[in-house]
Amino acid sequence: MALLEGSNLRKTYRLSKRNTVEALKGVEISIEAGEMVAIMGPSGSGKSTLMHILGLLHTPDPNHGPAPELRLAGENVASLSDNARTRIRARRMGFVFQDFNLVPTLTALENVLLACEYAGIKGKVARDAAIEALGLVGLADRADHKPSELSGGEQQRVAIARALVNKPEIILADEPTGNLDSDRSTEVLALFRQFNREHGQTIVLVTHDSEVGEACDRVVKMRDGRIRNSGLRTGTPVMAVPAATAPATA
Amino acid sequence: MRLVRDLGRRKLRSTLTITGIAIGIMALVVFGSMANKMNALIGGGSKYYQDKAIVSVGSMYSGNIQPLALSDVQKIESIDGVAAATPTVDMLLSSEGGATSMGTPEMITGSIPGGDKGLETFKIDLASGRELTAADADSKVTVLGSDLARRLNVKVGDKVALRDVQFTVVGIWAPTLTAPDKDAYVPLAAAQDLFVKSLPPLIQSKIVASDIATGITVYPQKGVSPETIKTRIEDLLGKDYTVMTGKDFDAMLGSFSAIFSLVLTGIALLSLLVGGLSTINTMAMAVAERTREIGIKRAIGASRWRIRREVVLESAAIGLIAGLIGLVIGAAMTTLFNDLGRESGNVLFELTLGTAATAIIFATGLGAIAGFIPAWHASRLDPVTALRYE
Repeated sequence: MALLEGSNLRKTYRLSKRNTVEALKGVEISIEAGEMVAIMGPSGSGKSTLMHILGLLHTPDPNHGPAPELRLAGENVASLSDNARTRIRARRMGFVFQDFNLVPTLTALENVLLACEYAGIKGKVARDAAIEALGLVGLADRADHKPSELSGGEQQRVAIARALVNKPEIILADEPTGNLDSDRSTEVLALFRQFNREHGQTIVLVTHDSEVGEACDRVVKMRDGRIRNSGLRTGTPVMAVPAATAPATA
Repeated sequence: MRLVRDLGRRKLRSTLTITGIAIGIMALVVFGSMANKMNALIGGGSKYYQDKAIVSVGSMYSGNIQPLALSDVQKIESIDGVAAATPTVDMLLSSEGGATSMGTPEMITGSIPGGDKGLETFKIDLASGRELTAADADSKVTVLGSDLARRLNVKVGDKVALRDVQFTVVGIWAPTLTAPDKDAYVPLAAAQDLFVKSLPPLIQSKIVASDIATGITVYPQKGVSPETIKTRIEDLLGKDYTVMTGKDFDAMLGSFSAIFSLVLTGIALLSLLVGGLSTINTMAMAVAERTREIGIKRAIGASRWRIRREVVLESAAIGLIAGLIGLVIGAAMTTLFNDLGRESGNVLFELTLGTAATAIIFATGLGAIAGFIPAWHASRLDPVTALRYE
């Protein structure tokens, strides 16, 4: 069973009275647990829209075609209320955005604690989880710094820590390296790969950075609101390694 | 607290908004304290008049006192339903006339201790010394109200000049927050002497001091209402005499306190309008500025309710801080005004716990309500659009 799968996904946005944009024209996608998938395409291809739907930020259009389906771990999430979708995002998903991820008046630790608060994790448990998450991204010593005191790469790593702290079933990242220079990009990418390889974290990245695509197990290419190819990259096969048989890695 | 940090994002703007509300709350506190004092004065008077009728000729408040004859007292006592009637002589302490700016004027009041036959219910506590007794009938002794004693700067045992006549202070009353605080209470005979001395010489020669009174206090029997007594007295004595009961007092001063309540309500509504609009504006700007942040929070799982709560709490905090500042400044002002006025006997402000609590609750509630609309808008933002907001 796929972790996150959807079919007949359509989305049209109304920009003004007469101006509509058909961002998704009918998409079928399936994400297995433990996969690290890149969704790539030129701007206007619908990749961000697809991620918003997979992330339950928007709901797929029910009309103009066969009924859309969207399942998270087997549960139907295609037409939930805003409150229900918000709750799932809080407890079972993690998000990283291209820029401006963090609340400027809160420290790194407090930003990560926000995700705990929304997920219903409180008190000492939350605090410990947040510190651990910051440790995993190598920023435990910067916990008390505000975003203005952190570099762009560090801010992005705090965002990753925040995305991880509630132990989500899936992490969705929208152009996570878009605003970073190549060194920082590599750092952030390495973190994602580490969590995917070592912890089996399922990660979906929207990107137009080919380096990101190459780091993933699978690239889904989109154009004009449809998927063009959803094949495995040639090269390394992908499955998440179950903990019991995980080989010792250097 | 995170809240305070959010307020500190735009220090000037927060300060201006808070100042606006604080000024309104300060005015509320000051005028509220004045109203408390007024109500205590009027309330005290109303309580005093509740169970009796006062007979006089002309009105004491217009300074136009004409004397009654002591024989009137016996006439009244013989009326059916009257338990006791006792003569009083009242006059302004200052021979120049003219009341003080607000509140009651300083008076000399003379009556027969025990003349009420124990029927008087308005009890005044003694702060020091003793009350007047029948034995003092021919002495020049006095018991002073708390404000008057303070203004004259005397204690028990001192001598004090009332209308140029020396009296010995034998007692000082505890504060009543109403008229007696400014009274000098003397035996009837002494008051009669002082009163006659104040009259023009031509009239003085025609009057026997011991025979006059400026008012008669009439106590009804148990089960008889003062209004019934009033009708019977008026029937007996005729139209020249004024008989005042508690109802008359309330009617007379009711409009006074009504005007005060109106002023107070007006201030409250005005500060509500100004302060509330200012806060709505401030919060609307804060929400607009934090659009992207709201987008992030919603995206990572903050519910609409949570976003609304955040905004309302922040604007309630603005109200609370402003309320505290307004209260502190208002309290300082009332204390200052009271200290300035104490020497001349004008303590016009009473800041009660109730007024203080009302000010704080009002300010906080105002802030919270002002945040409702911006909170609603914030919660309805689409996360994706908000995230991309430039």
